[in-house]
Amino acid sequence: MTLLDGLWAASALTALVAAAFGRHPAAGSWLTVLYGLQFLVVAMMGGLSEGADPVPASVSFVVLGYGLAWQFSALSWFFAVITAGAALAAAWFVSGAWGRAYAARGGDLRLLQLALALNPLAMYVLLASTDFLSLFVGWELVSWSSFLLMLSGGGVGVRWALRYLVYAIGGAMAVMAAMAQAHALTGSFGFGALAAAVPELSAASLWMLVILLAAGFGVKMGLLPFHLWQAGAYAETPGPGAAFLGAISSRMGLYAMLLTLFGGLGLGTLQALHIPFTPLEAHELLAWIAAFTMVLPTFTALRQNDARWLLAWHGIGQGGYMLLGVAMGDALASAGGMMHVFNHATYQAALFMAVTAVVYRTGTADLNRLGGLVTRMPLTFLVLLIGIIGLAGLPPMNGFVSKWLIYRALIDEGQPLLFVAAVIGTLGTIVSVYKLLHNIFLGRLRVEHESVREVPWSMLTPMLALAAVVFVTGLAPGPVLDWVAAVQRELGFAVLVPTLGGVDRPDGGLDMLWVVGIMLAGFGVGALIFLAGGRARTVHQLDNYAGGHFLSAEVRYHYSDNFYAGLMHRIGSWYRGSFQWLQDALVSATDFLAQGAAGVYRAVQPVTWLLGVTVLALWWAW
Amino acid sequence: MPELILELVLMPLVAFVAGLGMLLMMRKIAAKIQRRVGPPFLQPLYDVVKFFGKQTQISHGLIHDVGIIVAVGGYIAAETLIPVPGMDGIAGRTDVIVLIYFLMVPSLGMALAAGQCANPNASIGISRALTAMLAYDIPFVIVIFGMSWIYGTTNLVQMVEYQQVHGWGLFQAPLLAFAGLFALQGMLGKQPFEIYVAPAEIATGPMVEMGGKYLGSLVVMQSFSLYTAGILYTTLFLGGGVTWIDFLLKAYLVVAIPMAIAFQFPRYRAEQMLGVLWKWPVLAGLLGLALVMLT
Repeated sequence: MTLLDGLWAASALTALVAAAFGRHPAAGSWLTVLYGLQFLVVAMMGGLSEGADPVPASVSFVVLGYGLAWQFSALSWFFAVITAGAALAAAWFVSGAWGRAYAARGGDLRLLQLALALNPLAMYVLLASTDFLSLFVGWELVSWSSFLLMLSGGGVGVRWALRYLVYAIGGAMAVMAAMAQAHALTGSFGFGALAAAVPELSAASLWMLVILLAAGFGVKMGLLPFHLWQAGAYAETPGPGAAFLGAISSRMGLYAMLLTLFGGLGLGTLQALHIPFTPLEAHELLAWIAAFTMVLPTFTALRQNDARWLLAWHGIGQGGYMLLGVAMGDALASAGGMMHVFNHATYQAALFMAVTAVVYRTGTADLNRLGGLVTRMPLTFLVLLIGIIGLAGLPPMNGFVSKWLIYRALIDEGQPLLFVAAVIGTLGTIVSVYKLLHNIFLGRLRVEHESVREVPWSMLTPMLALAAVVFVTGLAPGPVLDWVAAVQRELGFAVLVPTLGGVDRPDGGLDMLWVVGIMLAGFGVGALIFLAGGRARTVHQLDNYAGGHFLSAEVRYHYSDNFYAGLMHRIGSWYRGSFQWLQDALVSATDFLAQGAAGVYRAVQPVTWLLGVTVLALWWAW
Repeated sequence: MPELILELVLMPLVAFVAGLGMLLMMRKIAAKIQRRVGPPFLQPLYDVVKFFGKQTQISHGLIHDVGIIVAVGGYIAAETLIPVPGMDGIAGRTDVIVLIYFLMVPSLGMALAAGQCANPNASIGISRALTAMLAYDIPFVIVIFGMSWIYGTTNLVQMVEYQQVHGWGLFQAPLLAFAGLFALQGMLGKQPFEIYVAPAEIATGPMVEMGGKYLGSLVVMQSFSLYTAGILYTTLFLGGGVTWIDFLLKAYLVVAIPMAIAFQFPRYRAEQMLGVLWKWPVLAGLLGLALVMLT
């Protein structure tokens, strides 16, 4: 039995326990231990990131003459360790008070636990893919298990889950078509055969493959214009499920792209594939799609009034950074893109959990019905603060490191417009996440939240642990960059040789140990200056300037709605809902065609049938 | 290592003194334009001492205090990343991208502090201040990209060395220098881009609940921000400095330009500010960038 078998077995056991005992009061703790076991097994395969031989699975099948086999490589391991960590954190969060409250409110805890357990299992199968066939099997398992998780909460989530399903099936068809084409061209489902056949393939066949694979996997990643399902589907999933999905689920699309487009076809192929009548190549096309994915969903997030929706929209935007980095393809950019997968998973899970904690205590995620909670839930505030600094990509958190790598590469490559797009995405994120923080935790505390308390430790522990990871991997990004370097080596990218603190370059490198040190030194001097003043007295929030009026608890003295009114005066009219319009147009066109078709095959019109049979008979006789 | 720690102590001290001088210069320029005498030489220092010495110090909670420390500390850290004559050890270890992001940290600190004050005027001010950041940072990063491209490095020390051999950035990319100056006006929050303070409308915005050492710290922060902006522009476009005299002279000159413009202008609304900053400096910056990259 190999370690991969062990991982699958542990994961399957988790799912079985969840299915059998999901409602048992102690099930949450058992499951957390089992997720911990999965994480441990993944950690035991850590040698993969240091160049060890791939870990195969003992299971293999032969179907219609095609072999199905699985194995873990450095690429699989990188994504698996994130998956295992996110699943462990989510399960820990569910295990105590949150799970009991969910069941008490009428939620089906067993279904949620089962769906949560099936997701990592499906991902471990997908991540062990060795060819198109096993990839497709894993792909479908992942799609259906995330569909189950989205469904598990019922309510509005069901509608969004169904929308996801339509998109997922569309994507899967594109993938299947790509698979069929690859088989037709090379006679095999192997990535190696495809890579070997590339020199003989025509540009048209290559384009076909690139478009089908990018579109098929891009649906899962929420790349423009296939992004409309994601925010709703993730936001309306029960909290810990959303944390897991937001952290890693859509990144499976990037994994599959890395495996097929960058590993299979090869980065060189994408760089050599010209778009007719333009100076662009295929990889730049991907980079530009990524750039639009960074900017537009981020500014959609800015307009959200529901904390979960705001985060889910940002999740789509951050996917753009990952693809941008990978598509640019040099050592720095691809390392940044891949490291961003890890970074994003850590802070996004923490953020979703913090918002879920707020919902747990206050019953709402509506940004216009909260405020001032920092005095009541200080640790949740801390987690959200660290999370948003990571999401916004500011030092000293890990999100800054991956974005720095991408920016630096864009300067190297001479891509000013992509650089500006990346910065606009970041600025939009800063503006948007401050609103998130302000409207929940700062400003005026509402009367009905006076008695709110901090959430229990079963919820705080995973949140704080994730926040610690966000900070520590920002302070010392070296180890994560080492894992990324192993992936770069496996896929044939130029390899970034990291230092503990980042990158050493003669023309401007990054040493986060220094950066964080200087920053903290600055804060230290700032604190000395501040503390030089006299002792301050803390006043009640109603003791406040109100232009001569008296403030009382009934007076609403808080600014939250339409938070960026001035900005919206300028850019509000730029929100056209074009993608929604496109989707609606597609839906109504499909509906129209379907009705037309139904009119033909459902209606009983003997004359039409007679005419048809006569024509057929004449044609046959002739 | 010891000299780096010495830099970490010395640079903020120099910045503080030079920054207070810039505050004085700002008020003197305003006075000259408005035909007043203006404050005495040590007035900025008196102000700081007075604020810190006040008996009544009002806090709205821990985040109010922490935010102020982050705001001041962020600028102090940012200013050490820019090489000055004789002290470039810390600057040599980081780069201009880190600096751009350090310059956003004070805004976040100020936003935290103002947010905790539970006063809608402060929140409105912060929403406008962050909108302003979105406005001026876009031309600013175009400028940073262009200069990094010209100098072939993102390391500020190497940028200065390059200019001392090949001539000032101002002459190599005048359009980018113009865009940078325009962005600077927004970055310093000077008229016409001071909508986030707007005393008559939102009661000084983020500062509405600040008094005593809180306001004093913000004065200190402003002196650091003026100094940082001045020396950053000097480093990017005016060849840095060989001696402290020419370095500070350039920095004061740079800061004097936005101030001289500022007191002649009324205030733009937020959307007007966005319109102006997204149009002229961005156009100039992109054009300058095209000239630089295509020739």
